[in-house]
Amino acid sequence: APIAAKAQDAVEWRMQALWDAGTTPFEFEKKFVERVSELTDGNFKITLFSAGQLVPANQAFDAVRAGAFQLMKTFDGYEAGKIPAFAFTSTIPFGFPESDQYEAWFYEKGGLDLAREAYAKAGLFYIAPTVYGEEPIHSTVKIETIADMAGKKGRFVGLASAVMADQGVSVTPLPTAEVYTALEKGLIDFADRGDLTANYEAGLGEVAKFIILPGVHQPTTATSYVANQGAYDALPDDYKAALAVAAREISGSLRQHIMVQNVDVLKKYGEQGVEITQLDPADVAANRSKAVESWKKATKEDDLANRVLASQIEFMTALGLI
Amino acid sequence: MLSFMKSVSSIVTGVNRLFFLLAAALIFAVVPILLFEVVARYLFDAPTVWAMEASTLIFGPHFMLAGPYLLHLKGHVAVDIFSEKLTGLPKVALDVFSYAVIAVFAGVFAWVSWPLAINAYSLGETSFSAWNPPVWWLKFVVPLSFALLFLQALVEACNATRPAQDQTGASA
Amino acid sequence: MSSEFVLAIMFASLVGLLLTGLPLAFTLGALALVFTITLWGPAALSVTVLNLYSTMTSESLLAIPLYVMMASILQRSGVIESLYRAMELWSRRLPGGLAVGTIAICTIIAAMTGIVGAAVAAMGMLALPSMLKRKYSPELAIGTICAGGTLGILIPPSVITIVYAVTAQASIGQMFIAGVVPGLLLASLYIGYIVLRSALNPSIAPRPDNDAPTTWEERIASLKSLILPLLIIVGVLGTIYMGIATPTEAAAVGVFLAFLSSLIERRFGWELISGVALDVVKVTAMILWITIGARAFVAIFTGTGGADFLLSFIQDLDANRWIVLAIMLGILFFLGMFLDEMGIILLCVPVFLPVIDFLEFDRLWFGILFLVSAQMAYISPPFGYTLFYMKGVLPAGIGMGTVYRAIVPFILLQAIGIFICALFPELVLWLPQSMIN
Ligand code: NA
Ligand code: NA
Repeated sequence: APIAAKAQDAVEWRMQALWDAGTTPFEFEKKFVERVSELTDGNFKITLFSAGQLVPANQAFDAVRAGAFQLMKTFDGYEAGKIPAFAFTSTIPFGFPESDQYEAWFYEKGGLDLAREAYAKAGLFYIAPTVYGEEPIHSTVKIETIADMAGKKGRFVGLASAVMADQGVSVTPLPTAEVYTALEKGLIDFADRGDLTANYEAGLGEVAKFIILPGVHQPTTATSYVANQGAYDALPDDYKAALAVAAREISGSLRQHIMVQNVDVLKKYGEQGVEITQLDPADVAANRSKAVESWKKATKEDDLANRVLASQIEFMTALGLI
Repeated sequence: MLSFMKSVSSIVTGVNRLFFLLAAALIFAVVPILLFEVVARYLFDAPTVWAMEASTLIFGPHFMLAGPYLLHLKGHVAVDIFSEKLTGLPKVALDVFSYAVIAVFAGVFAWVSWPLAINAYSLGETSFSAWNPPVWWLKFVVPLSFALLFLQALVEACNATRPAQDQTGASA
Repeated sequence: MSSEFVLAIMFASLVGLLLTGLPLAFTLGALALVFTITLWGPAALSVTVLNLYSTMTSESLLAIPLYVMMASILQRSGVIESLYRAMELWSRRLPGGLAVGTIAICTIIAAMTGIVGAAVAAMGMLALPSMLKRKYSPELAIGTICAGGTLGILIPPSVITIVYAVTAQASIGQMFIAGVVPGLLLASLYIGYIVLRSALNPSIAPRPDNDAPTTWEERIASLKSLILPLLIIVGVLGTIYMGIATPTEAAAVGVFLAFLSSLIERRFGWELISGVALDVVKVTAMILWITIGARAFVAIFTGTGGADFLLSFIQDLDANRWIVLAIMLGILFFLGMFLDEMGIILLCVPVFLPVIDFLEFDRLWFGILFLVSAQMAYISPPFGYTLFYMKGVLPAGIGMGTVYRAIVPFILLQAIGIFICALFPELVLWLPQSMIN
């Protein structure tokens, strides 16, 4: 077993973020790194790289496993094709409508342990999630109910593509880079892409005159801080605590920042002439029950995935969501 | 011994030529697949979940598996400003050096990519798209291509030391 | 290890190894291995391989084999040769007429794809044999194609523009529109240069031997050869701009139409198909193996902070805003000499944009200057990727030295283009602003 370093020992790690440099969430990764340094008297230094700088964001998992860098911010869903449980620890289409509920599942309902179990298999240590709200749906046609989406061409990825297909959407898997042009040219009717601010900056308001909220395909999102197990084990306890504390702080502060930012950006969309459609919560709830069947298919009968889903369904039922 | 070397070298080159031709044929499949997608989506409002993904799954093996034989064809582009002026021993030495570098590069890439492929296989990796096909096999294309390149580089290094008329002609 | 040292040693070893005649793909890949092991240790080697999987499944790079296929079919079925014959008939009074026509075709292809490898390889196969056959100087022909082939970066659609826009948080649509006028400006600069050079020195672009004036019947008859290429252009551009297909899918439509053309020309058959298959696999594998090496090299260069001191130099620079701008563009050009465009964008945009904001320059306008610089990087020796793609489709006997000589005037034209765009921002901003209002 590696000998734990002494608290005053200098440790240098490399971390690749999930976000492009300059974006809001990337600024919060900078804060994370600064906070960890601050909590360890400047002894734990993490060099931050933006998405794709070292490896493509969806390949970071294997890079951290191999020890190419020690820490990543990732989206568990990238690896759901390997470990089915990750389908539910990143975002659940038609799942928890409130970020607090999803975060509570992690911290209060054993979600953290389940996520750690999933990552442990790969020699990785799951530190903590950053939980925040929805990603919107941008549409070129007016959609007022979930039933309106049926038969229309929508761009979704990951579990959302399967769930939305089961809701009757003609799912068209396009790369993120194609979304703007595909909406503009009418190749597709509606699409998911990023959060409200990122999509505003990419100009989606210019080409899609309707926004549908809540983004039922991704009502809440959890991205994860994940470390190489060996590197993590070698840390002194107070460095480990610093990671956990900073992670939990960032989760709350990014979420609140997005909440404030959304108010401003929705106003800007309004100035562009974009119309915001709010789906009826009863409509969403009714289709959530339908989505449960799609979720179950995604477990691929994997034991851990089944346990994760069962735990989430139990909590959703207790909350009266199902 | 020499004839043994020669037959090993022609087996390696022959196998790589087969992969090259297979790779060349593969890419034609992309055209009807993408046309089908365009027609299905535009005329019938029924986009497929598989067409674009299937095309990209063909794309990787297409260029990866063609790489080793392309070395034999001298199709990997180089700066020839100085090397084209060399003859005799210096040229042989430089050629052997180049192929040795390529062999090391290919060997290390094959070695690094192998456990990633094994891991993808043992987890039965799928793409997790709406179509969700198995994709672990794609990760084996990488070490396979690099291993074949490794062998081809060794063969070319040997060929470079032999007089020109002894070498098999470079033709596809 | 200090950033200056990393930069110097990586640059020097890249140049040194390349000059031994080791192919570019393996030069980049082998250096990525050596630097990863020495700077980060063997555990980090997976970085070099992991970049490969997303190259293997890239939807936008899939355009490369498709455009090469289209070009190869058209070349082998004689469609392009008749097109150049028609251009010859119609442009006999215009010095360097065929090179001018080539730039026009490049501009059209630029509106179909933003993947430079696809455009350059396709144009190399299409235009080069026809120009060389008519005794155009290899330098003029090669320079024309390399420069023209990069126009796709500025003229939409363009993947690099999208990457820039996303990294800079600019509207993709506005960036696209802003690229149109500068793209056409560059095309005009190329044309002006070609005409001038050819008028001054007719031996580099000889006029047709036959001095007998062609009759109008002959000329009109030659227009028939435009029908098939036009059909393909309309087919590809139409499917993209009417929202029928993505650019990659539209390339497949183009291949289908090219096959139809070969049927009409009665050239369709096993000979054509096998020839096309070999063209496609050779060119695609050549380009993509370079991409593999480049992605690995850029990752380790970025990771070890090779450009850090250049970037922090800009951040701390306290000088006249135009000087700062000029230095920024100079850094882009320098890094572009050995990094790929994605690497440059990921490295520089986040550092440069706050400086641009501080100096109160327009972000959209800077974006275009940035993209023209990236375009310049694509054709700048020693590593301009375009030059290697071009070399890959050259006939035997033309070496890299010719390609390097060929490109120099066009790099200067690019520099003039940047200068004009910098001096007259309205050239860049007028179109996007008038589209909004
Ligand atoms: Na373009
Ligand atoms: Na360059």
